[in-house]
Amino acid sequence: MTVNKPSSGRERASSKSRAALLAGCAAAAALTLTACGGGTTGTTTKDGFAQVPQKDGALTVWVDATRMDAVKLYQKLHPEVKLNIVSYDGDANGSNYLQTKVQLFNRTHKGWPDVVFSSQNNEASWAVDAGFAAPLNKGLVDEATLGKFASGANDVCTVNGTVYCLRNDLSQAVLWYNAPLLKKFGYQVPTTWEEYQQLGEKVAKEHPGYLVGDAGDSFTPEIYLWASKCGANHITGPKSVSVNTSSEACTKMAKLMDVLIKNKSMSISGVFSTDFGKNQADKVLLMPGPAWYGGALFEGTFKTPAKQIAAAPIPQWKGETSPSTGNVGGGTWLLSQHSEHIKAATDFLKWVTTDNAYQGKKAPGFPAYAPAAEVWLKGQNSSGYFASDLNALKAASSQVWPGWGSGQFSQEAIWAATVKPALTQGKSVASMLPAWQDSIVKYAKSNGYKVSQ
Amino acid sequence: MAFVAAYVVLLVAFGVLPTAYAVYFAFTDAGGKVTGFANFVSTAHDFRFLDAVSHVAVYLLFWLLSLVVFVVALALLLHRLASGSASKALRFLYYIPGALAGAASVLVWLFMLDPTVSPVRSLLGVLGFHTFGEVIAPGNLPLLFTIIAFWTGAGGWIVVMYGALNNIPTDVMEAARIDGAGAWQTAWHVQIPMLRKWIVYMVILAFAGGAQLFVEPQLLSLASVGVAGRDYSLNQLTYDFAFQMNNINGAAAVSVELLVVSVSAAAVFVARSGFFDAE
Amino acid sequence: MPNKSFAVSVAAPHAEGEPSVMSRTHHRAPERRRPRPLRRVAAQLQTGTVLAVFVVFFVLPVLWLVLAATKTDQQLVHDNPLSFGSFHALKANWDALTSFQDDAVMQWLGNSALYAVISLVITLGVAIPAGYALAMTEFRGRHTLLVATLVVMLMPNATLVVPLFLEINAVHLIGTMWSIILPYSFYPFGVYLTYIYFTTAVPKDLLAAARMDGCSEFRVFWHIALPLATPVIALVGFFSFVANWTNYFLPYVMLPESSQMPIQVGVGTLLSNVPSFNPTVGDLAIQRPQLALATLVAITPVLIVFLFAQRFLVSGMLAGATKE
Repeated sequence: MTVNKPSSGRERASSKSRAALLAGCAAAAALTLTACGGGTTGTTTKDGFAQVPQKDGALTVWVDATRMDAVKLYQKLHPEVKLNIVSYDGDANGSNYLQTKVQLFNRTHKGWPDVVFSSQNNEASWAVDAGFAAPLNKGLVDEATLGKFASGANDVCTVNGTVYCLRNDLSQAVLWYNAPLLKKFGYQVPTTWEEYQQLGEKVAKEHPGYLVGDAGDSFTPEIYLWASKCGANHITGPKSVSVNTSSEACTKMAKLMDVLIKNKSMSISGVFSTDFGKNQADKVLLMPGPAWYGGALFEGTFKTPAKQIAAAPIPQWKGETSPSTGNVGGGTWLLSQHSEHIKAATDFLKWVTTDNAYQGKKAPGFPAYAPAAEVWLKGQNSSGYFASDLNALKAASSQVWPGWGSGQFSQEAIWAATVKPALTQGKSVASMLPAWQDSIVKYAKSNGYKVSQ
Repeated sequence: MAFVAAYVVLLVAFGVLPTAYAVYFAFTDAGGKVTGFANFVSTAHDFRFLDAVSHVAVYLLFWLLSLVVFVVALALLLHRLASGSASKALRFLYYIPGALAGAASVLVWLFMLDPTVSPVRSLLGVLGFHTFGEVIAPGNLPLLFTIIAFWTGAGGWIVVMYGALNNIPTDVMEAARIDGAGAWQTAWHVQIPMLRKWIVYMVILAFAGGAQLFVEPQLLSLASVGVAGRDYSLNQLTYDFAFQMNNINGAAAVSVELLVVSVSAAAVFVARSGFFDAE
Repeated sequence: MPNKSFAVSVAAPHAEGEPSVMSRTHHRAPERRRPRPLRRVAAQLQTGTVLAVFVVFFVLPVLWLVLAATKTDQQLVHDNPLSFGSFHALKANWDALTSFQDDAVMQWLGNSALYAVISLVITLGVAIPAGYALAMTEFRGRHTLLVATLVVMLMPNATLVVPLFLEINAVHLIGTMWSIILPYSFYPFGVYLTYIYFTTAVPKDLLAAARMDGCSEFRVFWHIALPLATPVIALVGFFSFVANWTNYFLPYVMLPESSQMPIQVGVGTLLSNVPSFNPTVGDLAIQRPQLALATLVAITPVLIVFLFAQRFLVSGMLAGATKE
């Protein structure tokens, strides 16, 4: 036997590689066939969209870990319903999971969940175009039910008059404060922003180190600037936005924040930062913030003792006739157009957003559905943790200013990357307003929005 | 060749085909129509593109230098250690961070880089950093990402290089020693040349890995809740294009650009080192 | 084996006066020469110091992580970073972690083990022979294969997700564990490692000798090359295991059911339930020390496999295998 490869070996080698090549080509062919996709046959137009033939079977529900309770409760109360529960990250932290998966499912024409919870409010900005979210106010959910949601709560879900998702909870901003501390220092709860600024100046002089607010979070603009009716994020249509950060509403609030940041009564470390937790958590006198501050921040993170934290309405500018506040977060439920179990899905959707068993009694956040919110408030008020009742939340729930929308691009991320580093370097909010506008415009355009300034 | 048949199937199925498909995406639009270089032009006009290019270029410099120099040096030093068990223990300790890939190390770096709670806050203080925000200032990012990437990546390469050093026959080492070569000379004239192929492999992959910088800025972005590291690198932009803006064609265009750069660099290294010669 | 000649004058005498010519062709283990104590100790000290500095660099954050798992969240923020918490806190963290979504952590670990082990077996079965063939045999397309492998390795994978998803869907494997395992088994990095190892550490004439003796290609591979390849098999096996164990994006995209998630994706889920990263989580929050504990649990199997593989990883000496 020679050292050189015998010719028979060569042929064997080439036939083997040919086989491999054939396998590869088959895969390629399959790929192209799938990519071409099939058409939609056999759909019936009902309730405002084309519905696929309905089947019996398990309802696929996607929830995050926090909403798992809701689905489990539903299963317990409705044992005859077959549920396929999938837990995912809820699209939190800038994860694009839902959008990514839906785009993949759109290519393979299968796999969509029937009902999905998202911790974001902006799903409607892509889910409608992607043919995923089903219209809900064209027959699936009755007007009576829709009307009982807090006013404006479902605006983020509405595109051209059609409602494409239901709001799970509201995060309306109120003025949280430490009641015994305030009393000890002899201050009154401010009702106007002017009073709030004066109080901040007094605190800086008389009790330095104590805080009346925080400008260091990525959601800071959603508390202060939104409440002040700043037009930085006015979503005017499915893909159009109007951005103006130099209006009086914006500059007024920016100046207020700058005064308080300068005299250190407003922190520039975020409330969840280690710096705040270590050095400032027990020095909070006032803190404008969303509804969930009560539980997640004060009780859960700072471990503030009971009977100290209370809520008052967020301050308004003197002479303001229509009170407004901001909103930080929430969550929405979507129903898939491609669902083969629309009746079951709708039943679940309606239950999980309105039923007292979950929203009223077990939900961690302020329910967007007003009747359930009443029950929820009663529960919170009798929990014994807060120093006052939380009725300020109720009033604020209908005061969220509708001029700030929820677009495809993240306002929080823009503030975090553009303004927050500048604050760290000692620049003022007012001086950053143009740069903030510039950044918003760039991101909006990059996401395909038509921008008017 | 029977030996490579199974590999060829997998290569075609999971390597060649997806890559070809991605290239196809790069030159077509959402409807499948061929659009030439339109995607390349439109993505280059994105306001984050040029910054991302410069970020990656600077990072690559830091990264390649530190990886090659320190990995080879540490592997050589480990090899010189008299105690075999000490060497083994050290290789293990150096490797541990390599297991902490991705999301697992977000928490670690969030705390390590925050002067309020970091175990190395005295060091950070000496460098003039008193808040987390100061540490993650834009000018520090290339160095920070290099440190994080090195921390996770060096251990594995040290193991590879160490093993490669062991493959150098003792008679060659002995000959060098007899000829009076000191540690540095042995390293420079004997060991490193014999590690040539391994080093080239490491450089090729490190170059591509550096050009495709993703994990470290993503990690920092998560840890800092968006303050630093968001839209920092080209690869992050491709994910943005693909999954946030539903622009798979743009994402593919940038991916192809990254591929071309990495392959060109690899070609240079391969050509100059005889990498493909089966000696 | 390429023998890079070392050009240094022969004049420098050997410590024990042995003629240089003899020791160059000697295959015995080097004779012990009388140590020059001070120089040697100083050199070892220098080496040791540098290595020790790097130990601190690599290990300090991990030490922090281990200690973090023993603290409560308050302690994590307020206490000294390298202080020990308490066993009580450790137990509380463990209980909270394991009760998350009904013991999901254990399920995630089991999934990871399943995916990693199965694909490890397939990877070794595919990559080692392929690397061997690329290095030690001649066949048409060898060069093409090398180039194709390299190019494919260098492709950024954001855009590979969509074609991969479509492919797996075409063969109806979406939702099964094979949608993960098969792509994992494609491990070009390992093929290249094997290729380089065989081209640098195994002499071709060794195999030529065997072929001359009448062995079939398979026997040459199985009986001669493979035993010599133990270090690279351990290396490729280990790296493949780790790559699969720590892979996040592929299972994140491919697997529809949360019961199929591997530990890496699970840790990502836990992260999104930590209030400081996602403030609206409510009562089911995961605290940071619990996340630290979960991370430790996630990396422990990797470290155990490393310790096991270390034995094989560095043996590589070809004593007396060929005659130069």
